Amino acid sequence: MEKRSIKKDALAGIIKKVAGDMLVYAPVKEEDGVFFRALGAGMEPQTTYANTKNAPKNIFFPHTEKMMKYTRTDKGMEFVENGDPAKDAVLFGSRPCDAKSFTLLDLLFDQEKYKDPFYCDKREKTIVVTQACVHPPYSTCFCTSVDGSPTSEAGSDVMLTDMGDSYLVEFFTPKGEKLLKYFGDAKPDAAAEAKKKEIAETAAAEIVSHIPAKEIKPILDVNFEHPFWNTIHQRCLACGTCTFLCPTCHCFDISDEVKYDDGIRVRNWDSCMFPMFTQETSGHNPRPSQKERWRQRTMHKFKYYIDMFGAISCVGCGRCVMYCPVNIDIRKIVTDISKL
Amino acid sequence: MESIEKKLREEAKLLLAEKRVDVIVGFEKGTLPLVATPCFIENPDDAEKLVWNACCTQNLAKFVHDVLSQHRASQVRVKPEDRKKKVVGVVGRGCATRSIVLHLQEKQYDRDDVVIIGVPCTGYIDYKKLSGKLGGEEVLDGAAEGDQIKVKTASGEKAIALKDVLAASCLTCRFNNPVISDMMIGDPAPPMDPDHEYDDVNAVEAMSVEERWAFFEKEMDKCIRCYACRQTCPSCYCKTCFVEQSQPRWVGVGEDETDTQVFQIMRMYHMVGRCVDCGSCSSVCPMGVDLRKFLKKLDKDVFELFGNRPGSSLDDQPPLSAYTENDKENFIFNP
Repeated sequence: MEKRSIKKDALAGIIKKVAGDMLVYAPVKEEDGVFFRALGAGMEPQTTYANTKNAPKNIFFPHTEKMMKYTRTDKGMEFVENGDPAKDAVLFGSRPCDAKSFTLLDLLFDQEKYKDPFYCDKREKTIVVTQACVHPPYSTCFCTSVDGSPTSEAGSDVMLTDMGDSYLVEFFTPKGEKLLKYFGDAKPDAAAEAKKKEIAETAAAEIVSHIPAKEIKPILDVNFEHPFWNTIHQRCLACGTCTFLCPTCHCFDISDEVKYDDGIRVRNWDSCMFPMFTQETSGHNPRPSQKERWRQRTMHKFKYYIDMFGAISCVGCGRCVMYCPVNIDIRKIVTDISKL
Repeated sequence: MESIEKKLREEAKLLLAEKRVDVIVGFEKGTLPLVATPCFIENPDDAEKLVWNACCTQNLAKFVHDVLSQHRASQVRVKPEDRKKKVVGVVGRGCATRSIVLHLQEKQYDRDDVVIIGVPCTGYIDYKKLSGKLGGEEVLDGAAEGDQIKVKTASGEKAIALKDVLAASCLTCRFNNPVISDMMIGDPAPPMDPDHEYDDVNAVEAMSVEERWAFFEKEMDKCIRCYACRQTCPSCYCKTCFVEQSQPRWVGVGEDETDTQVFQIMRMYHMVGRCVDCGSCSSVCPMGVDLRKFLKKLDKDVFELFGNRPGSSLDDQPPLSAYTENDKENFIFNP
C-alpha cells in the first residue's frame, strides 16, 4: 500500500488541482449546511467539517436520472438509450460511514446476476477519498454498532487521516493510486503507523451512542405482528427526510415524462415513508398506514438486508436522528426492540 | 414555565382519568438535548411525560386532525349504533388553536371532538438560528429556562437569550395566547411584536421583479421534495395531494426545476386565507427553504383585501368561502 504525508494546508490546493483535471465532488458550505457538490470555479472545498447534510449517494444514484428517451414517429416508437456515460470523477471528503454505504449499495446495484448499469458506470469511474473521523463529529454517531468505525477503510480508495500537523494519505486500491501524482513524494515517518492505530482506537472509544443493532435480528424475525409497531408512527409526518438523507436508502420509482410525441423515462428516489410508495392501481394499499411503513423501514435495515445480503443496511451516520423533524430516533427504536 | 408544566400534567391526568378525553396530544422530552417531540398520551399516569417549553415546535392541530380522521375511517364499517366517539385533548397555544378554528370552520370535525388545554406561548426555538449562534457546534446538553436557553457544547457552556433564537413567526406573533380553549393554564403570555409582522414581506416586496424571481428560484432550488412542509401543515389535510394524482398528472417528479416550483406555488396558493403563520413548514424543512416569507405575503394580502386573519375567530366567515359585492377585485386587473 502506498502512503504519503502532506501538509495540512496543502489539502484544499490539491483538491482544486484535481478538480482542474477531472470532475470532483467535495463538501461545500452553503448557508447553514455543508453539502457534497460538483466543484466548480470559485467554489471552496471544505476540509474541516463535521459531516455533510446530504449523503453522497446521489453521486452514484442521483435523485432523478434519465434512463432513456423515446419518440413516437410514423414508423412506430424510436428508443434512444441515455447516451451520457459517466465521467471519471473523485469524491473528496466522504466520511468513513458514507464510504461504507457504497459497499452496501454495491450489494444491491452490483450483483452478479443483476447489474444496474447507471449505478455501476458511475461507481466504477469514481475514486472515493475518505477523511477519517479523528474525533467522531456528532454525539449521535453510532457507526461502531453497525460494523463500522470512525477510521473504517470499507468503500474507500484513499483515506486521509488528520495526524495533527499533517495528513496521512493511504492509497488502498489501484484505483486510488491514480491520484498519487497529486500528493507529492513525502512519505510518512516510521511512527505514523503506530500513531494512526492510536488515533483509530481513541476515535472508536469516543463514540458515545451504542445500539444493539446486530442483536435485534432474531427478534425481528418473529415479531412482524407485535403491538410494539403501534408505538412509533403516530407522530411521524410521513415526509421523506430520513430516507432522502440516508446514505443507504435506495428505493426508487420509474416514471415517464411525456410531452406530445417525446418521452423521457426517469427514475427518481422514492421513499417507503410515502403512502404512494405501495399504492396499487386499484386504490388498495398493502401498507395502509404509517405503522406498516415504519415496520418496513426498520425491517429493511435490520432484517431483510441481512437476509438478502448478510449486512445491516445502516452505517450509523445519525442523519435521520438529527434531521427528523419530529425526533423519531432509530437508536431508540432499535433499543426498544431489543427489549421486546 | 415549570408551574405551567405542573398544572398541565395535573389537568391532563384528570381529563384522562375522568375519561373526558381518549388521548392527549402534547409534547414530551425528545431523545436529543433541547428537543421536544409530539406525544400521544392515553394512560393518566403517563401525563407526567408532558413538557411545555421553547423546544415545542410543531403545530399540534395537525395531529388532532390525523387522530380524528383515522378514527373516523376506522368507524366506517361499524354499524351506526355501535360507533364510538373519540375525543382528543390537545395542548394548544395560539397558532394551534387558530388551526383548530380553521378545521372547525372547514367542518373537519366537531367542537366536542376536541378538548383544548390552552397554554400561553413565548415562542419556540429556530434551530437554524441556534446553530448559527453556536457556530455550528453540536448541542451536547441544554435546557430552556424562561427567557434563556442554557446550552453545553464541546467548547463550554453558554447562556443564550431566547429572543435571539426565536422562530421568525414567533417574534412577531399576534396570537401567542389561545384564541379558543376549554381551560387555560397559566397567565396569558405577554405580547410579542406584531407591529413588525410584515417587515420581512415588505423587504421582499421592495425588491425588483428580477430580484424577487432570483430569490424564489434560489429558495426553490434547495427543495428536495421530501414534502415535510406539506406533511406538518395542519391546513394540508387533503387525502390525496395534487402532486400525487396521476390521472391527470399535474406535476412531474423528475429533474425539471419547474416541477418543484409548481409544487410549492400550488401548495402556497392552497394556503390563501388558511395559513396561521405557525412556522411549522419552515421549522421542519431539512434543507432550510425559507417558505415563511411567501406564506406571510399571502397572509398580508388576505388581511389587506378581506380584513381577515385566518383562524382568529370562530365567528369569521373564511374569506374564500364568502362573497360580498364589496369584495376587492382590483388584484385581477392590477396585480
